[in-house]
Amino acid sequence: MSKEGKFEPKIIVFACNWCSYAGIDLAGTSRKKYPHNPRIIRVMCSSRVSPEMVFKALRDGADGVLITGCHPGDCHYVTGNYQTMKRFQLMKKMLDELGFGDRVALEWISASEADRFIEVINEFIEKIRKLGPIKFREEVLENP
Amino acid sequence: MSEKEKKEEVRIGVYVCHCGINIAAVVDVKAVAEYAKTLPNVVVAKDYVFMCSAPGQEMIKNDIKEHKLNRVIVAACSPAMHEPTFRAVVEEAGLNPFLFEMANIREHCSWVHPEEKEAATEKAKDIVRRAVAKATYLEPLEKITGKVVKSALVIGGGVAGMRAALDLAERGFDVYLIEKSPTLGGNAARIGYLDFKMRGADLAKYLMDKVSKNPKIHVYTNSELKALEGSVGNFIAKIVKNPRFVTDACTACGECVKVCPVEVPNEYEFGLVNRKAIYLPYDYAYPRIYAIDQAACTKCGKCVEVCKPKAINLDEKAEELEINVGAIVLAAGYKYYEPQEGEFGYKKSKRVITLFQLQRLLAEDGPTRGELVVDGVTPKSIAFISCVGSMGTTPTAATYCSRMCCTSALKDILKIKEKYPDIDIYYIYKDLRTYGRDEDLYWKAIENMVKFLRYEETPNVRVEDGGVVIEVNEVTLQEKIAVPVDLLVLVNGMRPPEDIEVIKSVLKVGSGPDGFIKEAHLKLRPVEALTDGIYLAGTITGPKNIIESVTGGSAAAAKAAALISKDVVEVEPIVSSADEELCSGCGMCVSVCPYDAISIEIKDERRLAKVNELLCKGCGACAATCPSGAMQQRHFTDKQILAEITALAKGVIP
Repeated sequence: MSKEGKFEPKIIVFACNWCSYAGIDLAGTSRKKYPHNPRIIRVMCSSRVSPEMVFKALRDGADGVLITGCHPGDCHYVTGNYQTMKRFQLMKKMLDELGFGDRVALEWISASEADRFIEVINEFIEKIRKLGPIKFREEVLENP
Repeated sequence: MSEKEKKEEVRIGVYVCHCGINIAAVVDVKAVAEYAKTLPNVVVAKDYVFMCSAPGQEMIKNDIKEHKLNRVIVAACSPAMHEPTFRAVVEEAGLNPFLFEMANIREHCSWVHPEEKEAATEKAKDIVRRAVAKATYLEPLEKITGKVVKSALVIGGGVAGMRAALDLAERGFDVYLIEKSPTLGGNAARIGYLDFKMRGADLAKYLMDKVSKNPKIHVYTNSELKALEGSVGNFIAKIVKNPRFVTDACTACGECVKVCPVEVPNEYEFGLVNRKAIYLPYDYAYPRIYAIDQAACTKCGKCVEVCKPKAINLDEKAEELEINVGAIVLAAGYKYYEPQEGEFGYKKSKRVITLFQLQRLLAEDGPTRGELVVDGVTPKSIAFISCVGSMGTTPTAATYCSRMCCTSALKDILKIKEKYPDIDIYYIYKDLRTYGRDEDLYWKAIENMVKFLRYEETPNVRVEDGGVVIEVNEVTLQEKIAVPVDLLVLVNGMRPPEDIEVIKSVLKVGSGPDGFIKEAHLKLRPVEALTDGIYLAGTITGPKNIIESVTGGSAAAAKAAALISKDVVEVEPIVSSADEELCSGCGMCVSVCPYDAISIEIKDERRLAKVNELLCKGCGACAATCPSGAMQQRHFTDKQILAEITALAKGVIP
């Protein structure tokens, strides 16, 4: 929450070293602006992000989790992002069952797509803002 | 890590950089440093105007000694910018370089939130907290090294492969040059003229001669790569040497050809004429030994009877051999696009030929000894249709431009004009790409009265007696024109070689949407494959002209030489490894590894995953897939990443 009491979503972004992290860097070097909500965790490949990490982020206080990687066919590790894609679909099913499906997204952002990152992150923040904070944390985890 | 090291107290130093005003004008750097001091395990936190400057670096080195720091964090720019700089700094101060972590508060914070100073400062604190969380769990990593075998394998005996082999041999390395056909020379050897003076045969002969005289080059024709083991610096290549059925006792007298009863289309003449089942690809083939086409031969034994030197052995079997090399140059070339039957009248009329066939007709060693005779006559008019098999012209065409066809066709046109100035020539093109110096060819063609017609709609070809009529909707004139000619030449482009899928699976290299092998990076690493130790030369990465192919051969050789001139290779140690206690040997990791770096081995009757550290590139897909947590990627362990998550989401360091 911001000082004014307005809900400011806490967003965790997993970014692969070769494409997405570099694309997010490019937004900075090009002096573009975007909201301050995203907090970035660098991994070498999007395929390193396990479902456990996503669940942990939601449980620990993130309102949304965005996984980013190289476009299909452009993965630095040949097929890494296809593994991410497969795993994401399974994880999404589980998250949908639990009611968190909308809070987790997978997007492809290349090293040159600073604008695309900004577009994606703006949309994602707005989506999470509309969903509001995760109530279950207060209701279940913090007051068992 | 030993027990003693594990219990070592974590002592972190945090250095917040102003980057002049790049960070400090937005982020309250002093507040961030003060905040860092409140975090667990942080012993010292400072801010400074330029951490990457000499005094900034000295500050870190002194503090490592004075405060006995064993982790260092610099909150500044992107790790892509200065991580290597600071890793070197901590290493100079005696710390393992992997005990360093970067907090990106410039690209990810001050530069993108210039008007939100307060929020940016809070975000910078979060980013530093994340770095402290990761640093707390960082582990020292040792460099991974492997021995380097000082020899190379070159796949493909075309001009790119021969150039690469020669360049490597001239540097003193042993080179194994394998070629799947019975002769060296590749596609270029068959091109009538490469330019106005030099014939394809001249270039091929020049290279073949040098290759054959170089004792460092070991040539294996009729040979293919079947399997590859090992990794960068130390590969074991399994080669299959297919039977040639003729030994090197052959004197190339040609008596066998006279008695051979089997005739098949001669692929070296693009099917313009036939050859026998026993044949010499061309006069200047190397090795100059006849070969028997296994698929065509009926084993009648007539050739055996007439062979005086007793060089023919019809019972010869395929042989397998293993070659140990440090580097591999892939120069497997291309395959020309073969038009479909009926595509622009191809195979419906003898008066429709491909550019590759035309080049054989212009060649002095070709089926007509350089005379332009098709269907028994010298044509009075010729039309060329460009972009056949390229540029999405027809449904079976590739979408790319084949790059060499326009220049190649115009060069042939000028060659025809030189000998037959009265032949009327039409060049019907979709796009004309005589790039670079070859633009000259276009102007010379204009001077020689070649008529250029442009099409957007694919032209229609009508086959008639003694010729064809091309109906083209000419773009500039905006008019439908019918062009009756005696001969139509289809300017066909390049395709990946037929065995591209085998190459991809054996070498573990990927291809792009065009089907050609993909470079590690088009501009940064244009002659390297994604698999370390494998270099790419010539048209295997896409259409190229001769100059570019030969240049590529030299470039790949230079890269390969840089590798095999070293005694050991070093690999980034951020690779995966499996904890033997936890691993159940399920093999999930094996199935997700893009590099085949993981194998299941039996140890004390247990199945265990084992990572080849020289093959592993550190993507971490296996670690995320492992159901038991046994597989971990170093420097990106579950513990480290989960700590980063908690630091950001919960706001505390676990």
